[in-house]
Amino acid sequence: MAAAAEWENGSDAGPNGDSAMFASPVKARARAPESEAGTSAVTASESSEARVDDGNIQEAESSLREGLSLNYEEARALLGRLEYQRGNVEAALRVFDGIDLQAAIQRFQPSLSEKTSSKRNNKLRSDSSNSGSQHAASLVLEAIYLKSMSLHKLGKPMEAAQQCKSVLDAVESIFQRGIPDVMVEQKLQETVSKSVELLPELWKQAGAYQESLASYRRALLSQWNLDDECCRRIQKRFAVFLLYGGVEASPPSLASQTEGSFVPKNNLEEAILLLMILLKKWYLGKTHWDPSVMEHLTFALSLCGETSVLAKHLEEVLPGIYPRTERWYSLALCYSAASDNEAALNLLKKSLNRNETPNDINALLLAAKICSSDYFLASEGVEYARRAVTNAESSDGHFKSVALHFVGSCLANKSKISSSDHQRSLLQAEALKSLSEALSLDRHNPDLIFDMGVEYAEQRNMHAALKCAKQFIDSTGGSVAKGWRLLSLVLSAQQRYSEAEVVTDAALDETTKWEQGHLLRIRAKLKVAQSLPMEAVEAYRTLLALVQAQRKTYGSVKNGKEEADKVSEFEVWQGLANLYASLSYWRDADVCLQKAKALKTYSATTLHAEGDMHEVRAQTHDALAAYLNALSTEVDHVPSKVSIGALLSKQGPKYLPVARSFLSDALRLEPTNRTAWFFLGQVHKHDGRLADAADCFQAASMLEESDPVESLRHL
Amino acid sequence: MSSHAPIQSPKAAVDSLAAILGGALPGSLASADDPAAALLHDDGVARAVASRLRRAGSGGGDDGLCGWLYDAFQSSVPALKLAVLRFVPTLAGVYMSRAVSRKPLAGFEAVILALYMHAVAQRGSSAEEPETVALPNLANPSVYHAAAAAASKTAKAAEPEVAVLSPALEPHGTVRATRRARIVGAVLELYHGKLALMPFSSKMDFCEFCVAWSGKHNSSNDKPRVASAPAPAAEGVEEKWRRVPLPWELFQPALRIVGHCLLGPNNSDELKTQATRAAQCLYLRATETMDARAVLACRSLIRLSQMVEEPIPEPSFSEAVQANMAELEAMRANILSAKN
Repeated sequence: MAAAAEWENGSDAGPNGDSAMFASPVKARARAPESEAGTSAVTASESSEARVDDGNIQEAESSLREGLSLNYEEARALLGRLEYQRGNVEAALRVFDGIDLQAAIQRFQPSLSEKTSSKRNNKLRSDSSNSGSQHAASLVLEAIYLKSMSLHKLGKPMEAAQQCKSVLDAVESIFQRGIPDVMVEQKLQETVSKSVELLPELWKQAGAYQESLASYRRALLSQWNLDDECCRRIQKRFAVFLLYGGVEASPPSLASQTEGSFVPKNNLEEAILLLMILLKKWYLGKTHWDPSVMEHLTFALSLCGETSVLAKHLEEVLPGIYPRTERWYSLALCYSAASDNEAALNLLKKSLNRNETPNDINALLLAAKICSSDYFLASEGVEYARRAVTNAESSDGHFKSVALHFVGSCLANKSKISSSDHQRSLLQAEALKSLSEALSLDRHNPDLIFDMGVEYAEQRNMHAALKCAKQFIDSTGGSVAKGWRLLSLVLSAQQRYSEAEVVTDAALDETTKWEQGHLLRIRAKLKVAQSLPMEAVEAYRTLLALVQAQRKTYGSVKNGKEEADKVSEFEVWQGLANLYASLSYWRDADVCLQKAKALKTYSATTLHAEGDMHEVRAQTHDALAAYLNALSTEVDHVPSKVSIGALLSKQGPKYLPVARSFLSDALRLEPTNRTAWFFLGQVHKHDGRLADAADCFQAASMLEESDPVESLRHL
Repeated sequence: MSSHAPIQSPKAAVDSLAAILGGALPGSLASADDPAAALLHDDGVARAVASRLRRAGSGGGDDGLCGWLYDAFQSSVPALKLAVLRFVPTLAGVYMSRAVSRKPLAGFEAVILALYMHAVAQRGSSAEEPETVALPNLANPSVYHAAAAAASKTAKAAEPEVAVLSPALEPHGTVRATRRARIVGAVLELYHGKLALMPFSSKMDFCEFCVAWSGKHNSSNDKPRVASAPAPAAEGVEEKWRRVPLPWELFQPALRIVGHCLLGPNNSDELKTQATRAAQCLYLRATETMDARAVLACRSLIRLSQMVEEPIPEPSFSEAVQANMAELEAMRANILSAKN
C-alpha cells in the first residue's frame, strides 16, 4: 500500500495507465545524480557490461530507488528488464533474483481486494488508486515472468516453470475473482497471458508432464481473460500434447464441469474436442487459419475410423484454403474409408476431369481401387488404372506396381461379366499379364500373389494356383485366413480332398473359435464331396452350433461390416437341406428348408432347392414353377437356369431350343458350370449335332476335375 | 517359463540378467544406486539386451533372456515392468519378422502373451468391450466451450457418436497365426500408454522396425538417403528383417507410436528424422491397397512433419519502453560509471 502511494506521489502519474508509468523514469532522470550523460557514458556502460556483478546491481538499484522514488522490487524490475531487453539474460537473472515476490504481493493484495469489494461505492477514486498499484504489480509480475524467460533461455526449464507458476499464483491471489475484462491495465494483462501460455511449455520441457497437463487445463478453464489468438495457441498445443504426448492423462476434474456439458473421458476425446473447437473458432472468423489443426484432426479421426465426421469438417472449410482438387481427393478418401464408394467416386470423377487434374496419380489409384470392388465398374476401373500406369512411368516402381495391380483386378472382374467367350479369355490373359508385371516390380507383395492365385484358379489352372496359394501362406506366415481357404479350395479342385482337409484343420488351429465359420463350411463341403454324409452332417452341426452361438452373443450389436464376415445361419440350413436331399432324406431336407425359409423368405437358393426336391419326386410342374420363382427373385440365378434347361431338355424335342437358350445363358454367366455344359451336350445330342455335343461333354468332363468345393467368389 | 520364480527386487533382476548376459553387461549396472532405473535408461544395458534379442536363433523356448523378461514383467515392481516394456519394439520387431518364416519362437511368444494378458487385465471387466471414443457434438456445450444459446433449448441433446479406437481383447493362451497381429497390436497399445517414460533409443528401435515391416525401404525414392547406404556394411551379419502383414489392428497402434516419435514433446531431431522415414514408409505401404484411413492418417503425419512449430511468443516491450530505452540506458551507464 505504502509502496503504491509512494509511486504515485513520486511520479505525477495521471489516472491513465501506460504512458505515465513509462514516462516517470524519464522525468525523474533530471533529478538523478550525476546526470552529465553523454556518449562517453554509453561507451562506459558497454565496457562494463560484461562485469555486471552484484555490487553494481545493488548500487544501481539504490540509485534508482533514490532517484525515482521506486521501492526496491520496482527498481530491480526495471533494471532487470533493461538487461533482458539488451540480451544479457544472465545479468537480468541476477537482478531479478533479488525480488521477493511474496512481499510484493502482500503489498498489492489489500488495495486490490478492497477495491473489488468497494468498487460500486467509489468508482473513480478506487480506479485511480487501483491503476497505481496495478502499475507496481504489473512491473513486479513482469519481472518474474522475464526471470522465468531468462531461466528458460538458459536451459533451466524446471526453475523457469516454478517462477512462471509463481506469477500465475500471485495473479490468482491478487484477483481472487478472476481477471475483470476492462479494469486491467494492458501491460499486466499481457504479462498474465504470456505467463499462462508459457507455463505448460516449461513443464513439458522439464519433463513434468502431469504438471504440464494440469497447467494446460488451468490455462483453459480459469478466467485469464486471454485473447483469441493466445487461446488458440494454447488449445492447439494442448491438443497436440494429448494426441502425441504418450502420457496417460486423467480426465478433467469434476469441479470444472457444468451440468449437461460434454466431458471428455480420455486423451483422444479431449484432443478431438479441442481441435473441433479450434476449427469452429476459425469458421467464425475469430482466429487465423492454422493448417496443422486440420491435419491433427485428420490423424485423430482416421485412427478411430470416423472419416465421415472428418468429411463434414473438410466440407466446412471455406474456399480458398485448399485447392479444389485436393479437397475433392481428401473428401474421396474420407468417403471411401466410410464405405460410401459412390460419393467418393463422384468426387474423384470431378477431380480427374480433363479440365482439372486428370493425371493425379493418387486420385487415379483411389478411383481404380473403388472400381475394383464392383463388377459393373470394372471397365471404368481399367481405364483409371491404365492412366495411373502411364503416369507412374516417370516415378518409381512402387506406384506402377500398385497401378498394374488394379489393372489386373479390374480386368479380372471385367472378364467375369463379359458376354462373349472370346473376349473373356482375352481379358483373363491380360489380367494375368498385368498382375505378373506388377509382381515383377514388387516381389514381396503377398496381396498380388493372392490375387494371381485366385485368377489362376478361376481359369482352372490349378497347378499355378496351388503354387501361388502356398507362396501366399509362406509370405504371410499363415496369418491371413483367406490364404488358407484358397489353398484348401485349390486342393479340393484337384480332388486332393484329404490334403485339403489337412489344410483346413491346420487353418482351424490358427484361428480363434469365432472366426472358424468359413473353414467349417469348407470342411463340411469337403466331406460331402468325399461322399461321407455322416461326417458331413456332423461338420454342419458344429458349424450350426457356432453360428447360433455367435447370433446369441452378438445378436444386438450386429452391424453390416461384421455380418459380411460371417457364415449366416441360413447358409447352414440350406447346405444341410441339400445334403439330406442328396441322400433322399426328404423329410429332413424339408425341415431344413423350412428353417432356411424362416430366416430368409424370398431366396432363389431355397426356391431352387425346393424345385430340386420336386424334380426328384417327379413333380415336374411344381419343380418348374419353383425354378421360375427362383429366377424371378434373382434374374441371374445360374443354378435355376441350369435346372430349367436340364428339365426341359428331358421333355421332348419341341422344348430343346428353349432348353438350349437357358443353358447358354447360364454358361454366359458362369462359364465353368459343368452341369450346364453336360446338359447342353445332351441338347445338342438330341438335336443330332454330334460334334457340338462331343465338345460340350468334353468341356464338362474337363471341368469336373477342376471344380473347387465352393465358388472362389466366397473368398 | 513357469519354472522360473518371479523376480522380486530390482537387485535380483540385475543379478539374474548378469548371469544370462555375462560380460556383455556394463559393469556400472551392478553398482548403480537405482538398478531398476539403470535397467530402463542405461544405453549399455539396452544395447546388450537388444543385440541378444536380435541374434540369430533367439526367441526359442529355451532362450534365457526371454525367460528373464518374462520373470521381470511378472514381478510386482512397477519399475521392472517398465524396463521390460522398454524392449517391446525389439521384441515385437524381431518376433513379427521371424514369425512370417514360421520359426519356433516360444520364448518370444511367452513374453508377448504375458504383456498381452497384462493389457487385458488392465482393461479389467471391460476387456470384452472395445475401447471407444465419444465424438463431441459442438452444438452441445463442453468443458471448453459454451454452446450457442439456440442449441440449448433443443431438449434432445444429440447422443455423441461413438467410434472404436481399439477392438475388444479376448484372452489368448497361445498365439494363433490369425490373431498374431491383434496380440502384438495390443502390446503396442500398452507400450504407447507408457511412451513418455520410455528412453529415446527404445523409440528409435521402434521406428527402425516400422520401416522394415513396411517392406518399402528399398523404394527407389529412398535411394538418395545417406542413411540407407552404410547400413549393409554396418549391420553386415545382422539378419534382414522381413516385411510383415500389417492389418489395421497392427498398423493403427504402430502409427500412433510413430506419431508420438514425430510430434511428441522433447524428441530429438534424430528421432524425428527416423520417425518421418517410418511415416513415409507406412504411407507407401498404405497406398499399396489404397486403404483410405491409413492413407489419410499417414499423409497427415507426413504433412505435419514438414510444418514448423509455432514458437512461444517472446516478451514484447511496448513502444513507450522503446522510446525510453536510450534514456534508461544512459542512466544505467551513469550509475555504473560513477562507481568506477
